[in-house]
Amino acid sequence: MPAPHTLFVAGMNHRTAPVAVREQLALEEEKIREILADLSGRGVLDEVMIVSTCNRVEVYGVAPVPGEARTAAFGRLGSHRGLAWRDLEPLVYTVTGDEAALHAFRVAASLDSMVLGEPQILGQVKDAFALAQSAGTAGPVLHALMSQAFGAAKRVRTETEVGRLAVSVSYAAVELARKIFDGLEGRAVLLVGAGEMSELAARHLVDQGALPVYVTNRTWSRAQELARGLGGIAVPFDQLAATLALVDIVVASTAAPEPIVTADQVRTALQARRTRPLFFIDIAVPRNVEPAVNDLENAFCYDIDDLRSVVEANLKERQREALRAQALLEQEVVKFAGRLQQLEVVPTIVSLREKLEAIRRAEVERALGRLPAAGEDTRRVIEALSQAIVNKVLHAPIVKLKDSSRAGHARRWTEMISELFGLRGSGRSDPRE
Amino acid sequence: MNAVLYDVALTAYILAAAAAIGSLFGRRDQLAWVALLLTQAGWICHTAAVIVRGVELGRLPFMTMAETISLVIWAAILLDLWLERRQRIRPLSAFMLPVILALGLGLPTGLRSMALEAPARGGWIAVHVALVLVGLAALVLNFGIALMYLLRERQLKAKRTGTIYRRLPPLETLDRLTVATLTIGFPFLTVGLALGVLSAPAAWGSVLTFDPLALFSLVMWVIYAGTLLGRVMGQWGGRRAAYFAIAGFCVLLATLGAGVFLHGRHGS
Repeated sequence: MPAPHTLFVAGMNHRTAPVAVREQLALEEEKIREILADLSGRGVLDEVMIVSTCNRVEVYGVAPVPGEARTAAFGRLGSHRGLAWRDLEPLVYTVTGDEAALHAFRVAASLDSMVLGEPQILGQVKDAFALAQSAGTAGPVLHALMSQAFGAAKRVRTETEVGRLAVSVSYAAVELARKIFDGLEGRAVLLVGAGEMSELAARHLVDQGALPVYVTNRTWSRAQELARGLGGIAVPFDQLAATLALVDIVVASTAAPEPIVTADQVRTALQARRTRPLFFIDIAVPRNVEPAVNDLENAFCYDIDDLRSVVEANLKERQREALRAQALLEQEVVKFAGRLQQLEVVPTIVSLREKLEAIRRAEVERALGRLPAAGEDTRRVIEALSQAIVNKVLHAPIVKLKDSSRAGHARRWTEMISELFGLRGSGRSDPRE
Repeated sequence: MNAVLYDVALTAYILAAAAAIGSLFGRRDQLAWVALLLTQAGWICHTAAVIVRGVELGRLPFMTMAETISLVIWAAILLDLWLERRQRIRPLSAFMLPVILALGLGLPTGLRSMALEAPARGGWIAVHVALVLVGLAALVLNFGIALMYLLRERQLKAKRTGTIYRRLPPLETLDRLTVATLTIGFPFLTVGLALGVLSAPAAWGSVLTFDPLALFSLVMWVIYAGTLLGRVMGQWGGRRAAYFAIAGFCVLLATLGAGVFLHGRHGS
């Protein structure tokens, strides 16, 4: 009897392989589809899917000999760019069984990502699975693995804060604004000067409902251009101080050598604003907003270092949360192992049903052949009688098989039942048979 | 019977307070749920205790000082539960429950002395007490939220992050809620106190007779009136309003303390 086929993951990621190698293996969808079909045609893999992103190239599969399947898969992937397996081998990690499941869950939940908790990877894994499904190379094991992985990723997202805290300066600014303001809808923003980070921050704020956006710049044409890009209103640079009273959030990033927003200006603006807070995001170096502004009541000023330290604190927090997420994924692996065992008995149940159904049909035909005068009623009775007998005979063995899979000794029973009923080939745990 | 129910309610509140404070520092939300369930359970017991006491004594259950404080607590918890639900201010209980409990420290003994014969008082007095009571409950909450505001404000100014930092609601929300609790509490307090002043001549013979509780009440009323006026005039928001809320609460505590410990005309 052949050995049970094994789930494995073989791959390379940003930690094990340099980008120079990863980029050569990152292939477009059509190429991957071709490779999937080719690999499953060779017979070394029962099931296979390939995850290919800029940070990882991984083969998820079920095979009798994972080592062999891995060599075949990476040999095929490398052949496109003339990379031989022996060059790739030292960069490739391989895990099997429960460890493979854990790895898959970690990848989907973004615990294995370069930026811990980044959300794109889940979509990429989903796409990879959909591709394998449409290529017909994903079977019941990968199906079970992936549906569990997607569920696990969702749990991690909702039950931990791994993906929740801002890890970029521009998002950190938005997060801070949310700690000050009771929602960002309808908050007026003033963008002073241009810069990639400040524009990004302004865009995030607009995405969260901030409105309107005032834009000012020393160069009037540049202010107008920026305002167009953000759907905002251009304001002459000398109106800066007056505009402070109108807005809730100021994003500053000019190249001015000294502060362009002074504490005195802000004090005046705050008086006009009564008690509403005013939040300054100063991304410029040297700083655009006088540090003393932060000492004024109802004014809050965060410079680039403050924002960076928020990001650092958030990253640390994500790492702490990742530990919790890991524990959660380990529970999911246990659940998955149970599911896989159930999967083990399914082929035996199917062939048992098929076998008895074939016998039943043959015998019914024969009996009806001997009763040429039988009317519709008689036929129906014979049909029902034979079906009832088959179902009653099947009941006990099927229940036993399901119980045994739950109890973890499915193999003994699948073998025994295959022997008893003379089923061929179903004693293997390859779920596709 | 009602004393046992009070003890159960108070115990539930104490455990809920511990859980709520723990939930501020913990990573998981379970503690917050435990706190919420305990608070609700405690509140139901509390309600039952008040009703049972009313039935057992055959009179309104807020005629002695201890009973009144108990009902202030009852109403404050109800407001706290409502705010937490409506405004999704999760950690509110962590700030409110300890404050509310501090009010009720001397309560068990006060409630055990059954004080069967309540001081002879007319119906207007009951309305006076009931209105003041609702006002005080809102102002207790006003204090708790002001504390949260000051903590949040300090964190934002000092640019500190941490678990509590992530749990606290936005600064503006807290400011809005301090105003809201003050605007709810103040009218009740005002009308309630006014009724007290109006019915005093009938009960005591004169308004001007010295009574510590009445005196403190007046100081308290002036502070809250000033805060509200400052807010309406425009400049007294945020930190200043929070300081006033705290000052007001200190006098509120002194008022209740005067009611319990000093022997004035209000009795106990």
